[in-house]
Amino acid sequence: MADRGGTGSGGGGGQGALETAKKSRKPKYSRFSQQELPACKPILTPGWVITTFISIGVVFIPIGLASLFASQRVTEIVYQYDSDCIPPEFSDDSVEFIKSDKTNKTCTRTITVPKQMKSPIYVYYQLNNFYQNHRRYVKSRDDKQLWRKEDETSSQECKPEDFTANGQPIVPCGLIAWSLFNDTYKFRVNDKVLEVNKKNIAWSSDRDHKFGSDVYPKNFQSGTLIGGGKLNSSIPLNQQEDLIVWMRPAALPTFRKLYGKIETDLEANDKINIVIENNYNTYSFGGKKKLVLSTTSWMGGKNDFLGLAYLTVGGLCLFLAISFILVYVLKPRPLGDPSYLSWNRNAAGILN
Amino acid sequence: METAINIAYACKLISNEMKQFIISSETDVIREVEERGDQVELARVMKEEVKKELKKCLEEAQQYFNTLSGPKLALVIDGKCLMYALDPSLRVMLLNLSLNCNSVVCCRVSPLQKAQVTTLVKKGARKITLSIGDGANDVSMIQAAHVGVGISGLEGMQAVMASDFAIAQFRFLSDLLLVHGRWSYLRICKVVTYFFYKNLTFTLTQFWFTFQTGFSGQRFYDDWFQSLYNVMFTSLPVIIYGLLEKDVSASLSKKYPQLYMEGIRNSFFKWRVVAMWAFSAIYQSLIFYYFVTDSTSTGQNSSGKMFGLWDVSTVAFTCVVVTVNLRLLMMCNSMTRWHYISVGGSVLAWFVFVFVYSLIRENVLYVIYVIMSTFYFYLSFLLVPTVALLLDFIHQGIQRWFFPYDYQVVQEIHRNEPDGYLRAGGLEISNHLTPDEARSFAISQLPRETSKHTGFAFDSPGYESFFAAQQGVYVPQKAWDVVRRASMRSKAKAPLPPKR
Repeated sequence: MADRGGTGSGGGGGQGALETAKKSRKPKYSRFSQQELPACKPILTPGWVITTFISIGVVFIPIGLASLFASQRVTEIVYQYDSDCIPPEFSDDSVEFIKSDKTNKTCTRTITVPKQMKSPIYVYYQLNNFYQNHRRYVKSRDDKQLWRKEDETSSQECKPEDFTANGQPIVPCGLIAWSLFNDTYKFRVNDKVLEVNKKNIAWSSDRDHKFGSDVYPKNFQSGTLIGGGKLNSSIPLNQQEDLIVWMRPAALPTFRKLYGKIETDLEANDKINIVIENNYNTYSFGGKKKLVLSTTSWMGGKNDFLGLAYLTVGGLCLFLAISFILVYVLKPRPLGDPSYLSWNRNAAGILN
Repeated sequence: METAINIAYACKLISNEMKQFIISSETDVIREVEERGDQVELARVMKEEVKKELKKCLEEAQQYFNTLSGPKLALVIDGKCLMYALDPSLRVMLLNLSLNCNSVVCCRVSPLQKAQVTTLVKKGARKITLSIGDGANDVSMIQAAHVGVGISGLEGMQAVMASDFAIAQFRFLSDLLLVHGRWSYLRICKVVTYFFYKNLTFTLTQFWFTFQTGFSGQRFYDDWFQSLYNVMFTSLPVIIYGLLEKDVSASLSKKYPQLYMEGIRNSFFKWRVVAMWAFSAIYQSLIFYYFVTDSTSTGQNSSGKMFGLWDVSTVAFTCVVVTVNLRLLMMCNSMTRWHYISVGGSVLAWFVFVFVYSLIRENVLYVIYVIMSTFYFYLSFLLVPTVALLLDFIHQGIQRWFFPYDYQVVQEIHRNEPDGYLRAGGLEISNHLTPDEARSFAISQLPRETSKHTGFAFDSPGYESFFAAQQGVYVPQKAWDVVRRASMRSKAKAPLPPKR
């Protein structure tokens, strides 16, 4: 007997009463409701497994090599100066040193260039143990205020750095701006001053869309507690690139931020004379400050991670491909062999 | 009693090889006591008789059970004896005996007794019971069982209204159990475990972040990303999966009814399975978090600029969305175009959303444009989902080959056959019949009526072509049919609507 769309259980009330008007209660047939859509039924055979591993290996290893090569070509100099730049008489009391107005914060040091570095050479400052990703810190800003002059009134989020003692709004408000990094670096090599270009160190989207061109700092760092650098109130915010760079909160407690670019080449074994103004207080919380000079490649700074990851994964996949081939050869199982059905394997006892 | 046994033979519940235990209330002993008319004595005697019979049958059954290759057992008991057998003192014996039998036939039972028997098995044997019936007298039985199936039709809709599932014909029961019940189990297991997995992955990635924020509770992802994750970016594929997933086709499900054992053994929702998903989620979240944060610790493109918190989290979020959607495709056994549409659509929805959102929202302003302007993004977009899915892929490869599930073996056995419902095979009658087949099909659907004519022998096609015309089904007439109709004594009436 014909099996009318045999999967139709519960579909409408039966064959329907065939009156002269021939009304059938069968629901309208659609491939979706009867679950008869054409489908692709992939089966993960050994062939597919091995093919996938080999193709991953073949694609990833060259990418890994390229990335690693690019990263290896980058030269990076990291110099930690926070403990170095405390004069010996304050070595036990660095917090006192950094907070006092009267101490001399200038610190001169020399570093050697290990390899030739082609311009542009990027200067970063790296902070350790500084939690720019702390929840209260991240929300302590007012983006509307930064963009438009009309929205000058600081928001609640910026407490306690929102208004001055006499109720004037602080622009830019909030802890992020208040804790602006204010160490400065000057470089000389072979008695020639190296110009540090501080333009274009922030992402252009920030400069063009986040920080207004008609917003000027007002009442900034005017309280008794100074958290960081001061701002020139005659320069609009979208040109204050140090502030813009600082205000992009970093993801991890150890982070780098771009300070500037040096646009001359440095040769190997050059001695760079650095004059550091050690202003910023990282001593109260056990933070560290480092100065980083780095070239870049198409991939960015010196980061072997991606290259190594690609190589590792590619190599692992090739290794897995080979081991799977061995395993399939040593312990074969015919595809679609009914003797692997569990009721054929347990000869006795069907219902357990 | 004999009628019941005959029907049981016809339904293949009982066969000649089975050993039948018959507990009947029509034995001589009982008839004698009945004739005497004393109700109290009758009750007592019946109870004694039933007890004796039960004991005897139970002992015999134990013997058969101890020898492994004994015949199958069947129990036939009628309503009157059942009344006494369901007594609390005899109930346990009845249950033990019934559970040892392959078939139990109860005849002349009242609706209450039907329910009582069902409850006895349900509570006593602690198994899942299913009862099926079509009339009002089956309602209590349907409601007493775990799963009640009602057949709609001739006896009205009472059974349907009281039941959990309603079907139109008894033969659809095999479809209900073996096809749809099985698919339902598979789908529910997979949907539930997948849902927990995807949320676990997403949340654990944030969790690893808390260790590096000084435990201040800063969110890794932007709020709207988090809110819309479950609503927009990962919801539709799993819905489509739950609607359309099939491990084997309907005809194969019926061909291999042993596949139903997977549900009985709970193969897809054991703790081991759940633990495997959880482990996969933990592994993937570690990959997402550490790969992305470690590789963004230095400048990101040749301009040396650094990523901030929101850039890093957007990269991680993109990887999470893509990986979780691809993982769904990896676990599909049959992929329709809706799967592709929903998975592709979800990923696309994410990109469209973030393109628009990052133009509006202040803290993540232009984030996606910033990250998409670096090579780093594309490299990590290729690497991170691949590494995350690698473990699952290896696991699937090994499991499929060395420890295959039954349905996987069945899939492999029938891998080269076209789908049962495709026109190519013509295995089932669908819309593509030859004209002759169509004609006989149409005719076979006509109501069978006794003819209004007298004095004529009926030649099948001619008779049916008349009624076919009445029903609007075209069937060409035979020559003698015209002659026959010209000689009819009375005008043929329109056929009455058939009782179904």
